Amino acid sequence: MSIEKGKVCSWQLLFLVAGFVQGSVLLIDFAVGITEHQTWMVILAGLVVSAPFILSYAVLAKRFQGMNVIQVNDLVYGRFLGKVVSVYYIFFYLMTLSFNIRDVGELYITFLMPDTPFIFLLIGFTATCAYAVYKGIEVLARVSHLFLITGMFVIISTFALLIDQMDFSNFLPLFELPFIRIFQGIHLMSAIPFGETIVFLMIIGSLNKTEHAIRNTFIGLLIGAISLLIVSVRNTAVLGKTQTIWTSTSFQSIRLIDIGTVLTRMDFLIGIAQTVLIFFKCSLFFYALAVAVAQLFGLKSYLPLVLPLAGIEVIIAATVFQSPVDHAGITQNAGIIYSAPLMFVIPPLTLLIAKIRGLPRHERGKDA
Amino acid sequence: MIFLLFAYAFIITVNVPGLIKRKEWRELTVFSILCIIAFVLGLMYVLDIPVPSPMRGLQHLIVDILGIKYPEN
Repeated sequence: MSIEKGKVCSWQLLFLVAGFVQGSVLLIDFAVGITEHQTWMVILAGLVVSAPFILSYAVLAKRFQGMNVIQVNDLVYGRFLGKVVSVYYIFFYLMTLSFNIRDVGELYITFLMPDTPFIFLLIGFTATCAYAVYKGIEVLARVSHLFLITGMFVIISTFALLIDQMDFSNFLPLFELPFIRIFQGIHLMSAIPFGETIVFLMIIGSLNKTEHAIRNTFIGLLIGAISLLIVSVRNTAVLGKTQTIWTSTSFQSIRLIDIGTVLTRMDFLIGIAQTVLIFFKCSLFFYALAVAVAQLFGLKSYLPLVLPLAGIEVIIAATVFQSPVDHAGITQNAGIIYSAPLMFVIPPLTLLIAKIRGLPRHERGKDA
Repeated sequence: MIFLLFAYAFIITVNVPGLIKRKEWRELTVFSILCIIAFVLGLMYVLDIPVPSPMRGLQHLIVDILGIKYPEN
């Protein structure tokens, strides 16, 4: 039995995926410290590396039509092992959501509202996400194109306004960094913006038609990746080597916009865009978390769990890291290593087992 | 502390009457467990008791015990 009654159109999936990937625009900064001026390369390489795995997510969701990943795990791995795998998924959703909520808090405390208590920023933001989750996936999907347009507008307009300050020699030399740093950068990129699309295994089950699910997932992914690429190119071309010393490269580059001393201090644009995009990403994660927990316990609805989960998320977000430096340090190592099996092993393995066992049986029997 | 109590009084007032009315006991049980966890975490935060970080535990397991890590940049 499906917990979610709302339905998502196939083309809305495109906007959901694109907006979700765009929501990671702030997290490029984690890679900048590692891959410096070659960040644009690792974004492209990360996309190429993660594409087959994302294909496996889409194929898996299409094979088990109308089911979320928790139901699929029970069916493929059996009740006990399925629950263990589901707990891994839930832990990932729980932690990633808390990191993203913390990102917004850190963004505001560092750049926009330094005197506001950190916990109040987290409470306000989480409460807003909880409200969106209460409204359901259908409502989020219906407004998804607005989030994407807002993000694209800010990314393209700031790129255009900074063109006169760009120095494309900042990208040279092309292959200067040691391989291990490039590898870490690719791992980071394939895990954070792209691998996190594993959250859609909780959402694709709500599609009314799955015919174009794979195509729309990939178009969305491509739009999201292009957005990240534009931001990365802009920051490197404007800031050059100095981009590694800033806490937020996007903020720093946007602060340099000066058109005839009239258009200056445009960093509020980045503040708005990043808040909106991370809100969208967090809402999708929060929705996936609430539905996954409700499905695990066999509940009829996820709605009663939204507020208690919000309470847990706020405290985890407030205490999980000691500082932004600690946040970056742990994310660049344990953060991307612990989630690797979930993103790169379990979905293809689930698909393989389902194929060998001929699952789901009743659906395929009907088709035959 | 007062804010925390008000917040959880609000959460309980919003959810519990409906769950009891619809006799959704399983939902009520999971809701209560999550509420207790959230309240205890909130209380620890308010009283300045260190809340254990799952990521710190994972970092210890992956980096210190298993030795899987990327070199320092």
